[in-house]
Amino acid sequence: MSMQALSSLKIVEWAEGVPGPYCGKLLADLGAEVTKVEMPGCGDRARKRGPFPDDIPHPERSGTFLYLNTNKLGVTLDVRSRTGAEVFKRLIEGADILIENHPPSDVARLGFSYENLKKVNPALVMTSITAFGQTGPYCDYSTCNLVSFHASGMAYINPSDGVDDIEQEPPLMGPANQGDLVAGLTGALTTMSAVFARRMTGLGQHVDLSQQEALVSMTRHQLGNYTVEQFPWLRAKEARRPGVSEVYRCSNGLVYLICNDERMWERWVEAMGNPEWAMTELFADRALRRENWDAGKAMVEEWTMERTVEEVVRLAEASRVPCKAINTVRESVHSELLADRGHFVDIHHGEAGNITYPGAPYKLSRTPWQVNRPAPLLGEHNEEVYCGRLGFTRQDLTVMRAQGVI
Amino acid sequence: MSGQALSGLKVVEWSDFVSGPYCGKLLADLGAEVIKVERPGTGDKARSYGPFPQDIPHPEKSGLFLYLNTNKLGVTLDVRTATGAQILSKLVEQADVLVENNPPREVEELGFAYKRLSEINPRLVMASITPFGQTGPYRDYRSCDLISFNASGLAFVNPSDGVEDPEGQPPLKGPGHQGDFVAGLSGAVATMAAVLTSRVTGSGQHVDVSEQEALASIMRSYLGLHAIEAMTWKRLKGSIPGMVSDKYHCADGMVYLLCGQDRFWAQWMKAMGDPDWAQNELFQDRISRRENWDAAKAMIEEWTRERTVEEVVRTADASRVPCRPINTVKALANSELAAARDYFVDVDHKEAGTVKYPVGPFKLSQTPWRVQRPAPLLGEHNEEVYCNRLGYTRQELTVMRAGGVI
Amino acid sequence: MSTQKLPLEGVRVVDFTAIWAGPHVTQWLAVMGADVIKIESNIRPDAERAAFIRTTTEPTMSAVFAALNYAKKACTLNMTNPKGRDLAREIIKVSDVVAENFGGAVMDRWGLGYPELKRLKSDIILYSGSGFGRTGPYSELPAFAGIVEALGGMCLLNGYLGSEPLPMATRGYADLTSAQHGAYAILAALYHRSKTGEGQHIDLSMTEVVGALLPEAIMDYTMNDRVPRPQGNRDVAMAPHGCYRCQGDDEWVAIAISNDEEWRAFCNAMGNPEWTNEDRFRDGLSRWKNQEELDQLVGEWTGNRTRFEATDILQKAGVMAGPSLKVEDVAHDPHLAERGFFVELDQPGIGVLPMAGLPWKVVDGPRGDYEHSPALGEHNDYVFKELLKMSDEEMARLQEEEAIL
Repeated sequence: MSMQALSSLKIVEWAEGVPGPYCGKLLADLGAEVTKVEMPGCGDRARKRGPFPDDIPHPERSGTFLYLNTNKLGVTLDVRSRTGAEVFKRLIEGADILIENHPPSDVARLGFSYENLKKVNPALVMTSITAFGQTGPYCDYSTCNLVSFHASGMAYINPSDGVDDIEQEPPLMGPANQGDLVAGLTGALTTMSAVFARRMTGLGQHVDLSQQEALVSMTRHQLGNYTVEQFPWLRAKEARRPGVSEVYRCSNGLVYLICNDERMWERWVEAMGNPEWAMTELFADRALRRENWDAGKAMVEEWTMERTVEEVVRLAEASRVPCKAINTVRESVHSELLADRGHFVDIHHGEAGNITYPGAPYKLSRTPWQVNRPAPLLGEHNEEVYCGRLGFTRQDLTVMRAQGVI
Repeated sequence: MSGQALSGLKVVEWSDFVSGPYCGKLLADLGAEVIKVERPGTGDKARSYGPFPQDIPHPEKSGLFLYLNTNKLGVTLDVRTATGAQILSKLVEQADVLVENNPPREVEELGFAYKRLSEINPRLVMASITPFGQTGPYRDYRSCDLISFNASGLAFVNPSDGVEDPEGQPPLKGPGHQGDFVAGLSGAVATMAAVLTSRVTGSGQHVDVSEQEALASIMRSYLGLHAIEAMTWKRLKGSIPGMVSDKYHCADGMVYLLCGQDRFWAQWMKAMGDPDWAQNELFQDRISRRENWDAAKAMIEEWTRERTVEEVVRTADASRVPCRPINTVKALANSELAAARDYFVDVDHKEAGTVKYPVGPFKLSQTPWRVQRPAPLLGEHNEEVYCNRLGYTRQELTVMRAGGVI
Repeated sequence: MSTQKLPLEGVRVVDFTAIWAGPHVTQWLAVMGADVIKIESNIRPDAERAAFIRTTTEPTMSAVFAALNYAKKACTLNMTNPKGRDLAREIIKVSDVVAENFGGAVMDRWGLGYPELKRLKSDIILYSGSGFGRTGPYSELPAFAGIVEALGGMCLLNGYLGSEPLPMATRGYADLTSAQHGAYAILAALYHRSKTGEGQHIDLSMTEVVGALLPEAIMDYTMNDRVPRPQGNRDVAMAPHGCYRCQGDDEWVAIAISNDEEWRAFCNAMGNPEWTNEDRFRDGLSRWKNQEELDQLVGEWTGNRTRFEATDILQKAGVMAGPSLKVEDVAHDPHLAERGFFVELDQPGIGVLPMAGLPWKVVDGPRGDYEHSPALGEHNDYVFKELLKMSDEEMARLQEEEAIL
């Protein structure tokens, strides 16, 4: 195995679901050694959530789990038992980083507060990813992706289309696990910052990541407008930007087209063959276009509906107007662009077989992203970690299994 | 599959570990259709108890679990959820027999008392196998094999040898889980009796099997001697005083030999070449022989120690004196007897591979014992049972899995 | 309750079994309502009738025989006499099950092997119990529990750590567990017959029964090529797990702790002595590894209490615990008493006795048949005059000819 960007970093991941594991994945995918600790029996709760091949639930075949846990070692451990707690501390002793996403009061009750763990390992970076952080009045709230997404304001401004009266509809969370993924991503980033800090001081620290804050951070634009301009963000009916950037229907699909300024407008009109309607007063400048865009859009769509997505994209791009097809995931997976980039990779997994996964959204020239191992089977590395590294015997493990510790 | 003794009998097994599952196995092995209900995640506790190949714990490779659950279908179900309880009721509705070994109080609290189940299914035979039964002052005692074994008196009379002072040692439980096995076995007999009744009367019944009673029943000769002859017993060192069947050391092992019994003594003395010591008046008549058995045994053992097990057995066979080697399980597995009786059979299991199992301890001439399927993987038949028989869709199963119901 | 049917009403069993294993099979059948006819002879009674006789019993009704043969009928037939064997055939013709546990192919030699029985009654079920099976190298050898347990691997697994092998609870563990397998097989055969009309031959080997109850050890061998040794009172996972001495004369309590929660409850129940805080006892794996010392310390606590006190305290705390009962304790156990496990037999010549029942209980269902154990030939009239419809003269003649003997 060649040297990867984060080789030599040893991480214990005591987390389940999406946020913590995604943080762990990002680090594992760049070469960190991540040992994922799961509850005996059920394991990470993501194993229970699909999608499953043919919709047949199977704990080793959850698409969500498989994706989020590539490149990790997996062990089982019930840290609530005394034996389990002792083993956990020994794992921490040998680690650079602990990623966890449990309610702060649970963590404290189990004896794993940062105050305690730093005594075991002063250089430990402990990254806690929770819905509302380690402090504050909501810190012990029970939550999930839905709640966090809404608590950040993102749901409120998440636009939707095809509904008559948006205010009759509830605010809308992003698809699947957006909120959780963002939290994990932010977690990876902040963890790395602590790793760098440690290089200078030799000491670890406790990284307190609030998912709410991570998502609020994504609304900084809206927040800025509000704070500075008192801009009132109302529920957004459409993905309509000031200008004509939006979704247009074509004969065989949809495109998203950007048209932000005068020059782009001119080029776009040219691309459409300089239609009469576009030259009229109604659309003379940005403000007017914004005001009259219902009519404008209808006219553009008359044109686009006579053409395929491919044609429209070709014509727009030829005129340097940014425009791309709105893809389903199927089209995305088969897209030439992404294939060219080698973005999707096939990974073989002992139980789930060969599946195509999204790769990394970046390329590193020296230390490329790579798959060293697929997501672990439940407890797959118990022996390697407990016997190989912590010195337990096989017999110890049979006793611990029968006691429910592993 | 037609043609087996219990083909057509439908059993739901809602039980864990040894006693209930052994009852279920006995029914399944003779062709009953047994659907085993396990909790999601960890499944049956026996999966956590070994032995495991190479001592590496794996929930699909426990020798105890594999043996106890041959020929069954396996589903996962958390009956503590409302959905799960509903599903169990549906399964029971379609069954002839329910085998369960849960604490009586829990069964009531979960809503599965026989009274209610018999309203859903008046034909139902419910076999409840518990440490102390459904009634009585110890009904709700927490117990396991060790406790039940001691509560039956069997531990107190279990003799030991090679220890100086038996009263210095605690009463001894049998190896493995004898108590739980016997309870399951009694359960199978009682279940079949109820099934035969129900075929005639059309209505079911609730069978109450107490492990303490199943083991006390094995004590019946002691209890009879106590009741009639007012006998009591102290702790037994070695054989029962006066018992002249005993074990003897040979050059390369041990044999169990019944030479002291009146009917065999003369033959055995002849086989040993009519030794001089046997002429002593101490050994001439049965009563004095019994009284001086220690001395007789010592003399005989001088003779056996000079010979191999094989020689001693051959000599005994030739003189028609009962004698057989004291086998380890290895010797049993490799014995001529085991081979001639086809006592072991290879069973292929998807996870555990091909392993030799002991077959049933009796042969049925018309409806022989058969392995139709090995022990089920956890949840292996969820789709077959829930979709094909109860009419759930695959999608409903994914929802139930994510919610921890299955 | 007594209007409900017993499961085997209408089923008749011709019972050639004797001693322990066989009679316990037919005892199950009899208690469940079958008409069990025990075939003995004055020249060859069931040997158990005379075993362990002291002064309190009738000479042909030992305590052990009484414990194993209630609810059955008994007749005398001289099976060495061809006319006796003919009478046996007549009884078999009107029966459903034939049970035997001879040491060897005695039934075959009498012309009563399965093929012949099938000709007498096409759906007959023949149960053959033996030490080693009716096929194989030892099919002619008689069975003895100690031998069977020796061969079956039990002896080398039963015992304290490092002890010598010995058959378990010597008096008939293998016999009585074999009997239950036998009873089960017979019921399964009856079930099959009720669907198909087909009988069959059941060939049970006691040695195989022993193995059937030791799969942990056998599978460890077949998977790992390893031979397990006796483990005393220890468990694969639980610690403490054993028997601890209490106040009184050789009195002990059994205690088993399976997780941290139970351990904490146990410590609380003991008043949290200092030693429970030691590192070596604070978690499950450590407790398991240090169980020798742990057992000593637990014994110090139990040593100050009776086994019943200890049980009471611990059960209330939610800990698995129970007294180790002696035979006399079992006979007087309040739990077994309330459940009616002991049944009152009115045994002629001896009196009314509380005998061990069977662990078979149907809730709100019929009580099993617990008529006294039969005297030798007690039901000759029933068998020969009622079943075979003999006249008094015929019966007298057959007695003279020593067919009925």
